[in-house]
Amino acid sequence: MIFSSTLIENCVNEFSKLPGIGKKSALRLVLHLLKQDKNSIDQFANAMTNMRNQIQFCRQCHNVSDHEICKICTDFSRKKKQICVVESIRDVMAIEATQQYNGLYHVLGGIISPLDGIGPEQLKITSLIERITQEEIEEMIMALSPTLEGDTTTYYITKKAQHLNVKITTISKGVAFGGELEYADELTLARSILNRLPIVDIISN
Amino acid sequence: MLRIEKISLYHFRNYTNQEFSFDKQIISITGKNGSGKTSILDAIHFLCFTKSYFLHIDSLVITNGLQGMRINGEFRTDKLDTLTCIIRDNGKKEFLKNSVAYTQFSRHIGQFPCVFIAPDDTELITGSSEGRRKFMDTIISQLSVDYLDQIILYAKILQQRNALLKQWHLQSAQDYPLLQIYTKQLQTIGHIIHQYRIDFCKQLATKTNEFYTYLSEEKEQVIIQYQSQLESASLEDLLTQNIEKDIRTQRTNYGIHKDDLDFELNGMPFKQAASQGQRKSFLFGLKLAQFFIIQAQKNKSPILLLDDIFEKLDESRSHKLIDFLVKQNAQIFITHTHIEQVKKTFKEYQDQVQFIEL
Repeated sequence: MIFSSTLIENCVNEFSKLPGIGKKSALRLVLHLLKQDKNSIDQFANAMTNMRNQIQFCRQCHNVSDHEICKICTDFSRKKKQICVVESIRDVMAIEATQQYNGLYHVLGGIISPLDGIGPEQLKITSLIERITQEEIEEMIMALSPTLEGDTTTYYITKKAQHLNVKITTISKGVAFGGELEYADELTLARSILNRLPIVDIISN
Repeated sequence: MLRIEKISLYHFRNYTNQEFSFDKQIISITGKNGSGKTSILDAIHFLCFTKSYFLHIDSLVITNGLQGMRINGEFRTDKLDTLTCIIRDNGKKEFLKNSVAYTQFSRHIGQFPCVFIAPDDTELITGSSEGRRKFMDTIISQLSVDYLDQIILYAKILQQRNALLKQWHLQSAQDYPLLQIYTKQLQTIGHIIHQYRIDFCKQLATKTNEFYTYLSEEKEQVIIQYQSQLESASLEDLLTQNIEKDIRTQRTNYGIHKDDLDFELNGMPFKQAASQGQRKSFLFGLKLAQFFIIQAQKNKSPILLLDDIFEKLDESRSHKLIDFLVKQNAQIFITHTHIEQVKKTFKEYQDQVQFIEL
């Protein structure tokens, strides 16, 4: 691509570093920004630099936060004795979106996979164990993906927390809501049948 | 009745673009060396197993110098199913049944069973234990989706465990709890797989013996013995006791990935004791046992792909084999260099044979 302005060229190069953005999309975005008035571009640029410079990771749960301790951890209405262990920030957002959970979180920052060079020491496991002891957590909910790596991480953390006085639970696995039974994959269906629930429980809940 | 009625090949091995129709129970494919006989059989195998029988890297099945490939086949059981496999220009493989793409290829295995017999298969007797484990896995996977899932999972855990052992070599801090978790996971799945293999090997031993004596007309006993470290102790115990060795060698030294099958003839290892002819008879015994076990469990006869086998068998054995197979109502594909030879072998079944000359 040939540009008549190196300013435009630099900007296009920067945009095209973003995931999923090629040279042409980058140019389209840049030309769009060129049409905006200068104030709104300042706003745009500031939002980005501020975001990167000022963002913090919560000292307690390692979620993204504007302050040293995040909004969720400081929220008085939340149950402080319940921790939900998740892989990433995205999982926090997904669970928050359900509006069904009212406890705290702990973001591991990944799951154990020696093949990818990720061992337990790279994850926030030590701080999790510390939290459980210091804050006298009553229940730890393991909400990791039902893959081999997710399971391994769940077992590992369970083993580490075994001697502590904490109830350890895991999210249930089974047939998707609104899904047709015949399209569910066999493994999921088999698990669902093995771990079936008494209907009385479902009604009383 | 399982029949393949049509197959079209695009950029697959010898074929840039060609279609074949099959309308008989027995299909004889004759032609010179290198004319593409085996390629047709391999294409059928590809559609049944989502991979080649001979080439372990997918990109190698694409015709030299060309890009992408496609195989399309029509299979009839009680209904017509169209299977398609595509390898795109970028190397991505897609597999479709009736135009619906599989998200997991393993879900396809076992739906359209087939048994391949090729000249190089004597490797099974003389080669390494890996071939014999693959032989077991291929058959049991066709019988049980659960087995296939467990095998895949076992391999994944094994990979992770070995990766961890390798890392330990580089760093001083060693995380035993994590290793124990992998050990426990291997233990659970290892023993499930072990049980499947025990059951299977019992069937295999009996059936192979039956067919061996039928083909060879000799009274020798062949013995198939399943060998596994898990027979003497639980996998967890083995791995825990030998943890030092694992750490030293940086890999997992015990488990069902070390299993083997022992073949014996008159109390001697088959490799040493058997003549060429006995080996062939035994190989056919094994393969027919495979055919029979699948047939019994699936209630349909697998497609038989016989690649150049009459070179290896004398006339009376060939006759017996053909007699047996035709009676089983299986669709049979046979390749050979000389059409006269095939015509002679099949003279009693002339109207059931379709001849394709390349």
